[in-house]
Amino acid sequence: MDTAKWAKRSASILGLLGVWFVVGALGPQTLPGPAAVAGAFVGYVGSPVYWNAITLSTLRVLGAFTIAALIGVPLGLLIGWSVVFGDFTYPALELVRPIPPIAWIPFTILVLPSLAFSLGIASFEIDTGIVFITFLGAFFPILLNAIAGVRSIDDEYSRAAQSLGAADWQTFRHVIYPGALPSVHTGMVVGMGLAWVNLVAAEMISGGGLGFMTWSAYTGGSYPVIFVGMITIGILGYVSSTIVRYIGASQLPWMEGSTA
Amino acid sequence: MSTRERVLGIDRRQLLGREVPLPPRALRWATSVVGFFVLWWAAVEYSFLNFGLFVGPVETLVAIYGYVLGDPVAGGSQSIYIHAAYSTYRVVAGVSIAALLAIPLGLLIGTSTRAGAGIEWNNYLSPAVESLRPIPPVAWVPASILLFPVVPVVGFSVNTAVLFVVFIGAFFPILVNTIEGVRNLDDEFRRAAQSLGASDRQVFRHVIFPSALPSILTGVSLGIGLGWITVVAAEIVAGNYGLGYITFQAYRLLQTDIIAVGMVVIGALGYASSAIVQRIANRAMPWSDIDT
Amino acid sequence: MSKQESNPERRSQNRNQDTNGYEDMENGHRDLDEDDGRARATGEALVEIDDLTKIYDPDGAHVTAVENMDLEIGDNEFVCVLGPSGCGKSTVMECIAGYLEPTEGEVLINGDPVDGPDPSRGVVFQSNRLFPWKTIGQNARFGPQMRNAVDDDRIRELLEETGLSGFEDSYPHELSGGMQQRAELVRLLANDPDIMLMDEPFSGLDAMTKELMQEMLLDIWEEEDRTVLFITHDVAEAIFLADRVVVMTARPGQIKDVIDVDIDRPRDSSVLTSEAFNEYQKRANELIHDEAERAMEQKQQETQEA
Repeated sequence: MDTAKWAKRSASILGLLGVWFVVGALGPQTLPGPAAVAGAFVGYVGSPVYWNAITLSTLRVLGAFTIAALIGVPLGLLIGWSVVFGDFTYPALELVRPIPPIAWIPFTILVLPSLAFSLGIASFEIDTGIVFITFLGAFFPILLNAIAGVRSIDDEYSRAAQSLGAADWQTFRHVIYPGALPSVHTGMVVGMGLAWVNLVAAEMISGGGLGFMTWSAYTGGSYPVIFVGMITIGILGYVSSTIVRYIGASQLPWMEGSTA
Repeated sequence: MSTRERVLGIDRRQLLGREVPLPPRALRWATSVVGFFVLWWAAVEYSFLNFGLFVGPVETLVAIYGYVLGDPVAGGSQSIYIHAAYSTYRVVAGVSIAALLAIPLGLLIGTSTRAGAGIEWNNYLSPAVESLRPIPPVAWVPASILLFPVVPVVGFSVNTAVLFVVFIGAFFPILVNTIEGVRNLDDEFRRAAQSLGASDRQVFRHVIFPSALPSILTGVSLGIGLGWITVVAAEIVAGNYGLGYITFQAYRLLQTDIIAVGMVVIGALGYASSAIVQRIANRAMPWSDIDT
Repeated sequence: MSKQESNPERRSQNRNQDTNGYEDMENGHRDLDEDDGRARATGEALVEIDDLTKIYDPDGAHVTAVENMDLEIGDNEFVCVLGPSGCGKSTVMECIAGYLEPTEGEVLINGDPVDGPDPSRGVVFQSNRLFPWKTIGQNARFGPQMRNAVDDDRIRELLEETGLSGFEDSYPHELSGGMQQRAELVRLLANDPDIMLMDEPFSGLDAMTKELMQEMLLDIWEEEDRTVLFITHDVAEAIFLADRVVVMTARPGQIKDVIDVDIDRPRDSSVLTSEAFNEYQKRANELIHDEAERAMEQKQQETQEA
């Protein structure tokens, strides 16, 4: 990238900070400016409360996303592959899908228990409700993209495999699965983003993690911390999407335009 | 019938060496749906996890019937229609404002990405926009309650905090898809139009905009989806009206039937709105066979 | 469907164990080629299309693609099916390949009705169907790999013959159109099919590459004695390649005429300028011209109705 471009791009970020600074100085008393937020950030980086919140939120997203991928990918591939299997399963899922995961929150608080268990050195308590909400956020994008991925594969690839002597499961393994992977990958990127959206909402309402930290900063009146929370969530969301993208790209060396 | 079904042997199953015809599709679908309700019923009946605290499908249907007739919900005096109207209006208004800002901005950024496109707006705008994008819209809830007041407008109280959160939810998908739509246009279409005598304005009007339209509408469709997610979250936390608000209110009052009814209504409205967008998209682009 | 075991896995096992196969062939005698163990019938029809009718009926549209077609293809014969676009010539191929079930009539291979796709009937598609997610080497190995019988020497030999050595680790999109088409041919030959079904395989190539590919195909065919059914809408291509050219009518597809091409083999591009070739071409052109016009009218009518 040449210097002129760098300068323009830096101007863009500085402009954003400038607007924030001006609005913070002239606007409502309650809005902290960049300096106040930076100060709060410095204070929080040394605090275990901050790191505990980060660890808890990250583990929840990681766990929920993994479960969503482990269920969503095989289920989506099967639904896309077999018309009959799809007919028996998909309509039920389609009943549930339009309900935004966040609307499940009251239900999950009521119905899903907290799991407490210990592993010798440390004991854990898993709020299954929050994990479930986060799971739902990631699950449907992954599922839908897996289904779409299979359906986008031209039938002639399966025919070619059959004519070369592939059995049904071999066609699945060598044609359906690899052919759907690019779309599955897209679903995972989207799913990771929605996992964070729903996690934050669930944590604000039922407690723990960065979502709760941000919300209690509002209720407790320490307004700069709200922005510390937002920025931290933004960074973590960005990093996790980047990791998913990177892993995906490394699995798809055959895609046109890939560098591998 | 899809080609997949025409492939030999796919649409049959074999049982004891004989071919058994499958039930028709409608029956398979019905099995799936009925199975879902049976599972729900059984979970409540036999108190799977804490399902015993929740309502079953039959009670939910009865409750829906009552609220459809206008019973007030969740300890308030309003019917479910009022709350549904509030949520719908918030989604429509938030998404509309987002579209009005994001589409022109996206077109500006997208067209200025090309070499020799005049001022490189993309370099000035993208970094600022990109640095805000990773923050999930729901994380804006506390900040927007802080900054955006409830404003009375001709007898209605307009909760601008909720509106802002919905706006943020819809803004980025629309923006990103608009930019992508413009960038994906093959340069030869532009060249063809120029060779046929089109001015820059005409190229934009007749080539760039229509070719980006499918992608823009995909963005709007995604935006509405995120609009419903964020409106529910914002209403739970900050609302005094709306479906998110009554669902959570119902939880506090332990009126579990309203929790279920609220979920059903939110799902139905979300589904209906994406169907409407799909309709509009097909109308607007008879030349395109792309699904949004 | 019920007459025979349809499980493809079982089928490929059969293929492994008794490669001389076709035990229940009723008439005709077999030559057993000891080198590659493949059974060959001589002088008898290998493929028998018997009164084949195929009607597509999606949403009650009721389109008759092929009507009462009878055709026999002998062992080691090179047959081209020539017809205007949309005349159902691909449908014929798909019925032989086992992708489609005939609405009426049947397709027999060595006297047995076709029952699903089988590795003894290899297919090359119109658009390149190399698996994009596999390298050229993996694509070439695919067929043998399905029954755990990969012969690396054979693969290497085939890649070398087609000028693809050194591209084993490339992905299909990194290759030119002609190279992709050659790679697909290698994938097919690695599987050692008795019958090669080719559906306009060279229609996407430029004229020069096309000519080279045709010559290569003839070399391969002459070397290894295979039966080829080649579908095309290119008159010169059909005559250059075929022993017999089957000219089809516009829809509903029927056989209009069969031209026996009596040009000496081996053929190379010098044939294209010979007088005999011109005569055949003239005759085929006359036969197909009216049909092409009819096909175009049909297409236009359908578009107006839609």
